Amino acid sequence: MDERVNRDAGAGVTALDPDAELMLRVRDGDGVSFGVLLDKHRLPVVHFLYRMIQNQAVAEELAQEVFLRVYRSRATYEPTAKFTTWLFRIATHLALNSLRDGKHERLQERLDDTSSDLPARQVADSRPSVEQSMVYQARLDEVRRAVAALPEKQRAAVLMHKYREMEYSQIAKVLDCSESAVKSLLFRAYETLRARLAHMA
Amino acid sequence: MKCPLEAKRNEVLLDYGSGKLDAGDVSLLEGHLESCHACRDFVQAQRAVWDALDVWEPAPVSADFNRRLYQRIDRQVSWFDRMMRPFQLFGLRRVVPIAASAAVILMAGLLIQRTPTPPPQPQHDTAQMEALQPEQVVLALDEMEALSQLSRPVRADSADSKM
Repeated sequence: MDERVNRDAGAGVTALDPDAELMLRVRDGDGVSFGVLLDKHRLPVVHFLYRMIQNQAVAEELAQEVFLRVYRSRATYEPTAKFTTWLFRIATHLALNSLRDGKHERLQERLDDTSSDLPARQVADSRPSVEQSMVYQARLDEVRRAVAALPEKQRAAVLMHKYREMEYSQIAKVLDCSESAVKSLLFRAYETLRARLAHMA
Repeated sequence: MKCPLEAKRNEVLLDYGSGKLDAGDVSLLEGHLESCHACRDFVQAQRAVWDALDVWEPAPVSADFNRRLYQRIDRQVSWFDRMMRPFQLFGLRRVVPIAASAAVILMAGLLIQRTPTPPPQPQHDTAQMEALQPEQVVLALDEMEALSQLSRPVRADSADSKM
């Protein structure tokens, strides 16, 4: 579905973004709309934060903080951008702060702990063999390490580009930088990832 | 032969890999890829990266995520929010102008009540007071004159007594 935000010359942005319309209802006191937004964006936000921080418990805690800030800001909400831009800007800001605050201990924690964050992965019609599980685990570890090794802003840009399929312009708004800066971040990040992961083809 | 895409290889090929190029551009590019080794290697390596990133499936979110969030929201609700909560049912935007108007009317009523109207003074009392006051002054002055005259013979007597 196209999410369009039109600019109304006199009165700011006239939001055609469905999520922005829901948030305007939250601003007017509609708690049900907040629940709709929460259910729709909870997974993407948690998954983004998890891939940034690589700790499930911390990711969920930060995701809660994201939605708490959304709720607290409801009275003054104005749809000047797409709702997801605003949402991921809050999430990225919290993730970057968290990484800076607990950088060394979290890096060690997430690279050592490869068991608690594993999804319940099932192969259709049969359980994975021990060998398949080991191969999968090895590939997963390599991907996690490669992403963890990226500088934080490059990491955020790649995660938004790859997993959220955001356009350069939207990533630029989330990271509060120019589109050319976003392209530079992405090109360097992918170049690094190609060097580390291309052999996995 | 120099690749015509060299300067923009990153952007074009990333957009190609992400499926963001239109059909015409895709067709042109795929023709180019058949003959350009550098671009072909780039595309293959980038596909491997994206396939590897696809392996990374995150764990499911906790079942009590929403419950914990709403608990935090309830704890964060300030006394002001609690006070305003009944009004939020009607929409704060509608209540505020109504409340402001009510406050103005109330203030106007209070101001009107505060200004007491003094009891009306009868006209003759006023005239009498105006008439009396000069007479009272004259009387007071006469009394003072009388007192001063009384005091003079006493001082003369006292001086004679001492001799």
